[in-house]
Amino acid sequence: MMAEAGKREKGDVYVRIEDAEGREIVVSSKLMILYGDAIRRTVEEMTSHLNNVRVVVEDFGALDFVIRARLEAALRKYGGEGE
Amino acid sequence: MRLRRTRLYIPGNNPHYVESAGLYGADAVILDLEDSVPLDQKFDARILVKYSLQNVDMGRSEKWVRINGVDTPFWEKDLKEVLPFCDVINLPKVESAADLNRVDDVMGAIEEEHGIEKRPVVPIIETIRGLMRAEEIAAHPRVVALAWGGEDLTADLGIPRGKALILDHVRGHIVLAAKAHGKQALDTVYSNVSDMEGLFEYARRARYMGFDGIGVIHPNQVEVVHRAFRPTDEEIEEARRIVQAAEEAEREGKAVVSLNGRMIDRPVVERARKILRYAEVE
Repeated sequence: MMAEAGKREKGDVYVRIEDAEGREIVVSSKLMILYGDAIRRTVEEMTSHLNNVRVVVEDFGALDFVIRARLEAALRKYGGEGE
Repeated sequence: MRLRRTRLYIPGNNPHYVESAGLYGADAVILDLEDSVPLDQKFDARILVKYSLQNVDMGRSEKWVRINGVDTPFWEKDLKEVLPFCDVINLPKVESAADLNRVDDVMGAIEEEHGIEKRPVVPIIETIRGLMRAEEIAAHPRVVALAWGGEDLTADLGIPRGKALILDHVRGHIVLAAKAHGKQALDTVYSNVSDMEGLFEYARRARYMGFDGIGVIHPNQVEVVHRAFRPTDEEIEEARRIVQAAEEAEREGKAVVSLNGRMIDRPVVERARKILRYAEVE
C-alpha cells in the first residue's frame, strides 16, 4: 500500500506513506537546518498511530498548516479513502 | 449590505497563492476547488482549503469557496470538508432552483451537525438553461448574489466569446433577475491582467449596468476595480445633499422630502444612501 499527497513546488510539500517493516520517517527540506526538527515533530505527531510504515516528506518551504494538510490527505488515502 | 465589488479567485491546491490571498484587500477571496484544480488533485485540494480557511488570515476579505458543480461526484465531499470554515459557498453551473435545493439539503445537514449558522450561496449561471431560470435561482432563500460566466453560454450558442453581442443581454437579464429579489448581481472577470485601463472601463461599465462587483483573477486588479466602483465626486455630492434633505425632513416630521424646490422620491433617497456607502469604504 502506498499513498501520496502534495506537490514538489515552492511553498508546498510532497508526502508519501508506504508499507514497511518497522517505522521510518524520512524528512528533507530546502530549509532543513531551520525547520527540519519542527517538520519531523509534526510528522511524528500526526503519524504516531501507525507502526509499519515509511513516511517520506520532501519540503519545499511549506508552512506548518500546509504540511498538516498534505499529511492528512496522504493518511486518509493510505487508510483507503479516495474520490 | 456587504460590499462585494471584488472577489479574487485563488487556485485551491496552490499553497503559495493561498497563503497571501488576504493581503490584497479584495472584498472576497474565493478558494477554488473547481476549474483551477485538476481531477487528480481534487482530494488534496479540499483538505488544503479546509486547513487554509482555518490558518490563513484573510484580513477583511469574506471567505468564499467555489465547490464543484452538482453535475460532478465532488460537490458533497467539498461541502463536508469546507462548509464549517467558510463564509459563502460559490456554486458553479446552477441551472434551476432544484439544483439549489439539493445543495441546500446537504448544507443544512452539515450546519446542524456542526451547530453553525446557515451559509449563504452565490450561484454562477453559466448555461442558457440556467439563464432562463435566473429568477427562480435568485429567489432562493440561500442566495445573496447572482454571478454568471460566459464560456459555456457562448459555447452553447456557438459564437466566439469576444464577439458575442448577446452577452450584453445576458448581463441585463442577470442584473434584473437578481434585483427583482433584492440580491446583488456580480459580473464575470476581465481576463487581460496587464490592461488596467481596459479593466477600469469594464468595471465602470459593469457598475452602470447595475452590477455590484466583478470577479478578479490577479491581485493588481483589486484596487482598479474598487476605484471604478467608487462613485464620482459629483455623484457623492448630489447624494450628500439628498440624504441631508431627507434627514432634515425626518427631523421636522415632514412626509415629503424636497431639495431646491423639487420633490425627492423615497427610491432616490435609497440610491443616494447606497452611493454614500460605496464612497465611504475607502
